[in-house]
Amino acid sequence: MTQSSLHETVRIGLLTGAVAAAGILFDNAYHIQVLVFIGINTILTLGLNLLMGYTGQISLGHAAFYGIGAYTSAILTVHFQFSPWAALFPSLGLAVLVALIVGIPTLKLSGYYLAMGTLGFGMIVFIVFRELDFWTGGSSGLAGIPSLKIGSVDLMSGRNFYYLVWGAVLGTLVVSRRLIESRVGRALRSIHGSEHAAMAIGVNTQAYKLQVFVFSAFLAALAGFLYAHCIGFISPGSFDFMASVRMVTMVVIGGMASIWGALLGASLLTLLPEWLHAFADYEMIVYGLILMLVMIFLPQGLLRGLLDIYERSRNA
Amino acid sequence: MKDPEMLDRDGEDGGAPILRICGASKAFGGVQALENVSFEVSQGMILGMIGPNGAGKTTLFNLISGLYPPDAGRIFFNEEEIQRLPTHQRVRMGIARTFQNLALFENMNVLENVMVGQHVRTRCGFWGAIARTTGVRREEAACRENALALLDMVGLVDQALKPSADLPFGWQRLLEIARALASRPRVLLLDEPASGLNALETGRLGDLILAIRNQGITIVLVEHDMSLTMSVSDRIIVLDQGRVLASGTPEEIQTHSAVRTAYLGEHCEQR
Ligand SMILES: Nc1ncnc2c1ncn2[C@@H]1O[C@H](COP(=O)(O)OP(=O)(O)O)[C@@H](O)[C@H]1O
Ligand SMILES: [Mg+2]
Repeated sequence: MTQSSLHETVRIGLLTGAVAAAGILFDNAYHIQVLVFIGINTILTLGLNLLMGYTGQISLGHAAFYGIGAYTSAILTVHFQFSPWAALFPSLGLAVLVALIVGIPTLKLSGYYLAMGTLGFGMIVFIVFRELDFWTGGSSGLAGIPSLKIGSVDLMSGRNFYYLVWGAVLGTLVVSRRLIESRVGRALRSIHGSEHAAMAIGVNTQAYKLQVFVFSAFLAALAGFLYAHCIGFISPGSFDFMASVRMVTMVVIGGMASIWGALLGASLLTLLPEWLHAFADYEMIVYGLILMLVMIFLPQGLLRGLLDIYERSRNA
Repeated sequence: MKDPEMLDRDGEDGGAPILRICGASKAFGGVQALENVSFEVSQGMILGMIGPNGAGKTTLFNLISGLYPPDAGRIFFNEEEIQRLPTHQRVRMGIARTFQNLALFENMNVLENVMVGQHVRTRCGFWGAIARTTGVRREEAACRENALALLDMVGLVDQALKPSADLPFGWQRLLEIARALASRPRVLLLDEPASGLNALETGRLGDLILAIRNQGITIVLVEHDMSLTMSVSDRIIVLDQGRVLASGTPEEIQTHSAVRTAYLGEHCEQR
């Protein structure tokens, strides 16, 4: 494992280098914007992957936490004149609180209660975003969300926001890695392996499931916060059931229980709609198909699956 | 192989029982899996438990380890009442078990299975894992060393980095025992550890069970292999249809006529 941690350090170093290089090389504002979205989606996917891929608990309403992060900060800055950084803590705090309220009753029970609970929860939150229009602007959305500043540097301008988001991605990657390779990570994976056996070796499965659920909600809210202040305008459509399905698809494509796969899944599903404009009309069908095909043919995810195929063809 | 000092076949010894079951009952729907079962296990002994399939042996383990609550009755560990405690707390107190139908973590390698077995004896939490302080790193290294030592004890140290699902069946059983030992238990519940093993493996398992007991760990052994059970157990309990049919030393049990009819499958000719 010391060797694998060394590999990891090298990889993270390489990624850092690639991020810096891309920031210098890309000067087209649109390209930078796409890279920012990839980063935001990577944070979402990493969080959901800890919950789904490593712990084996399914959330079908994660867009709600993404939305809570985005809307809380947007409302506080637009209507209550908070500075964006001051709005960060209440946004993350509210997501954590709501995750506790949703998680405590649903995670007591094993099986699909979390999936069902989060599905319903996601729908309710979506309706709240749409109907609470004096704060959220209803279906037409909330505009005029201020950009982030550090001192007098406006992060919206140029590449600054890109560096901020990718700094957060790298931080999330390192934190996820450390969690997974620890006593906590082993406990989470044991729950995925067999919840009964996990209990029998002394893992407080309820407490761990709750912890990882709350942490993944926290990361989703962080991504939502970045998203809101990146584009300055949000509407409920970004946080609907489809958005939750998109997140699950990113996790599945990248590979359950694979941190580097999360990067791949997020990149692919961010780029695909950009490349194929016709995609938007068939989004639901395409995701359904992707989910089905990956589950059937590449159950370990695209990354692992392609590596396996490559190795097999080399050995053949 | 047996250490004569550790053997105390008189049964009714003076030491306080480490595990005491008082009137435990459990029903599933219409099936009375256990009915008013009482017995004690004294510190340091190997208690064999036999009985036909469906007698309630596994259910009894599930009650002791806390996977199911009993319908009635009380369970004491070290004179402390535990039947309401959650499973993880009982493991922390010192009760470990294996499963009749293996329950290894197939998403982990052999070494990780034993490392996760030390969960209740290690401390690193969420923030510690993220900060990865020197204390955390030291604990992780010690956890790894302990796991390797346990794998060495069961003879699997060479397999440490294999996926646990790739081990042959007999080795998986040994791995599960190593994982249970990793929690440093005071009582170890073994549910049919020899099933699926060949004669040679069963012989080695017997030695391992005695070696574990010689470390001071009390063992409850549910096992169908009569020669193994009779040779390692200090006392034996016979369960039948959820009740205790008989208990005594292996010699007493072997000559007990009701046991022979109910379990050993022999038709005792009329005396
Ligand atoms: N989870 C369960 N649900 C329903 N019935 C069960 C369950 N566990 C055990 N039983 C029933 O309880 C009885 C005792 O089973 P068990 O404890 O597994 O016996 P043994 O381990 O001695 O073979 C059997 O009739 C079995 O079908
Ligand atoms: Mg059984």
